[in-house]
Amino acid sequence: MSLADRLPEDDSGRAFLFGAGCVLLAALFALTPLVASVPGVLYVFFEVGILFVVYGMLVLGLDLQYGHTGLVNFGHVVFFAVGAYTVAMLSAQDSFAGLSLGYPWPLALVAGVLVAALLGATVGATSLRLRDDFLAIVTLATAEIFHTLFANFRGIFGGDTGILGVPQPIADLAGDGDTTLVATLLLFGGITAFAFALVTRLTEAPYGRVLRAIRADELVTRSVGKSVFTYKMQAFVYGAALAGFAGGLFALYTGAISPGFFTINVTVTVWIGMLLGGASNHRAVLAGLAVIMGLRLVSRFALDVAPLSADAFASVRLVVIGLILVAIIRYRPAGIWGDARELGVDS
Amino acid sequence: MGLAQNLVFGLVTGSYIAIAAIGFTLIYGIVNMINFAYGEYLTVGAFIAILTVGVLPLPLPVAAVVAMAGGGLVSLVLARAFFTPINDTGPVPMLLTSIGLGLALRNAIRLSAGRSARYFDTETTTYRFDGLPELPVGPVNLLGDVFVTSQQLVVVVSALVVFLALHALLTRTDVGIAMRAMGDNESLARVRGIDTQRIRDSVWILAGVLAALAGVLVGIQTNVNADTGFSYILQILSAAILGGAGSVYGAIAGSYIIGLVLALSVAFLPTGMTGISSAVAFLILIVVLLVKPSGIAGQEVREA
Repeated sequence: MSLADRLPEDDSGRAFLFGAGCVLLAALFALTPLVASVPGVLYVFFEVGILFVVYGMLVLGLDLQYGHTGLVNFGHVVFFAVGAYTVAMLSAQDSFAGLSLGYPWPLALVAGVLVAALLGATVGATSLRLRDDFLAIVTLATAEIFHTLFANFRGIFGGDTGILGVPQPIADLAGDGDTTLVATLLLFGGITAFAFALVTRLTEAPYGRVLRAIRADELVTRSVGKSVFTYKMQAFVYGAALAGFAGGLFALYTGAISPGFFTINVTVTVWIGMLLGGASNHRAVLAGLAVIMGLRLVSRFALDVAPLSADAFASVRLVVIGLILVAIIRYRPAGIWGDARELGVDS
Repeated sequence: MGLAQNLVFGLVTGSYIAIAAIGFTLIYGIVNMINFAYGEYLTVGAFIAILTVGVLPLPLPVAAVVAMAGGGLVSLVLARAFFTPINDTGPVPMLLTSIGLGLALRNAIRLSAGRSARYFDTETTTYRFDGLPELPVGPVNLLGDVFVTSQQLVVVVSALVVFLALHALLTRTDVGIAMRAMGDNESLARVRGIDTQRIRDSVWILAGVLAALAGVLVGIQTNVNADTGFSYILQILSAAILGGAGSVYGAIAGSYIIGLVLALSVAFLPTGMTGISSAVAFLILIVVLLVKPSGIAGQEVREA
């Protein structure tokens, strides 16, 4: 029996293995004197890559909620933001504005996940019984409320300045900037692979079949004795907790957060990634997100050659993103790699 | 600032939210979609009027009419291009499409108009009508120390005119009666020989006209930039849902409640916290959806 035969056959097993490899490599860079050097032109690839794997956790949670259970959460950014703010406020030291309590960051990260999950449970308990489009509106309004709070309460959330002085454990371990970039991408990529493995295991289990049954026909699912609300609630809280975790990691990477990181554009980007790839297929949603984040890369390079200001270019990019969303829904409702029959949409 | 002064502000805010919320709730009731791009229709209307006043130049009342015509046309064209083709896919694809369209419109406006705020040229915005006494431009002293500007009076009076005209439309004209019939039961309306597509188009035009008017009225109060409409969409939405999605009279009531709550929250919040007054409107929205999802006078929105 060769080594190749011992490798796991299923998606989730392979993702675990891949994730473990990434984390080990990250540890190698962060913990040993080994240093990496990244050529200047590649910086942007690493920056967008790190953002991609962080958003990857968001899209996996969203796919659990919408792709599998049919919950239209259009305020996903709020759970990401709440995780990030919790971690930042608890762990930061000497922030210019807002709270900085200086607790150890691992404690803060756990708290970030719990607070995001708690918010998810609160929003879920109150609004999961609403009609689809109204659930979208409630989640979106929740995100806007929190955005307003973050931007206005300077004493607690730091207002427009945000919170500075958040510990950056990877940077501290790795030493120089290039090694930090490489180690961060590897570590976060590994964690996203773990998240992929977990949600895949969850949705391939009979549990996932119940979720998809709820999406397909709630009444029938209820009539066979499943507590639809409980399942919806679990899917919603899992997605929220994962987003909170992603937010916490993001804060520990950037070292400073501000309301500008957590606008509705994050929600829109993640939603487009999911719809473009094909909701209900975890691999497809990550691929879709990669396509939309690729657009971000292209636009960074195009900015150098196009005769437009950075401001105008940002507007052009958002016009394109908006139109992509419109076009997917009209022409590819099941996404590029999605299964139309599986999702129950006519394409 | 006294309580009475805040009530005046609330009445004014409620008036332009109401004009917009009527259009929004008509789309919800008859096309059965939440149009999240609707805020951008306000911005479009305001910019058309500002261009008409500034470039042509025409007096403001004429510019407002031009903006309303433009708003109706834009609304119809966008509906035909983006919403009508996916009419039967259900509420979620329609909502997501409107979110994408709104993002695209907002940034297209920012691209052409820039980030800076635009104002009406004050030379042409004095309200002079032949045969009528000239309205003063400055604030008018109402009672004691309560002031109201002529712009604010224009907003409140415009809203009253809109309400009366709309009531007449919905109760006296064939189109209006057909709209109400469709809002109640679309298939029944179709069986009874109502051309549902034509009525839908009329609703889109009417909604665009109302949004443009609301945009112009917002514009004469303050300045306008690409984000103006977007900053109102959740208030419009809150007002429409508070009133009961789909109900015109409910939307009017909901708008004045939102307007007053916004004005009073500004009065009672400590200085520096007034930025969160918009969060108050969304909080109302959530509470309404939880406690009485059908609003003051609307359809059921919970799952069966």
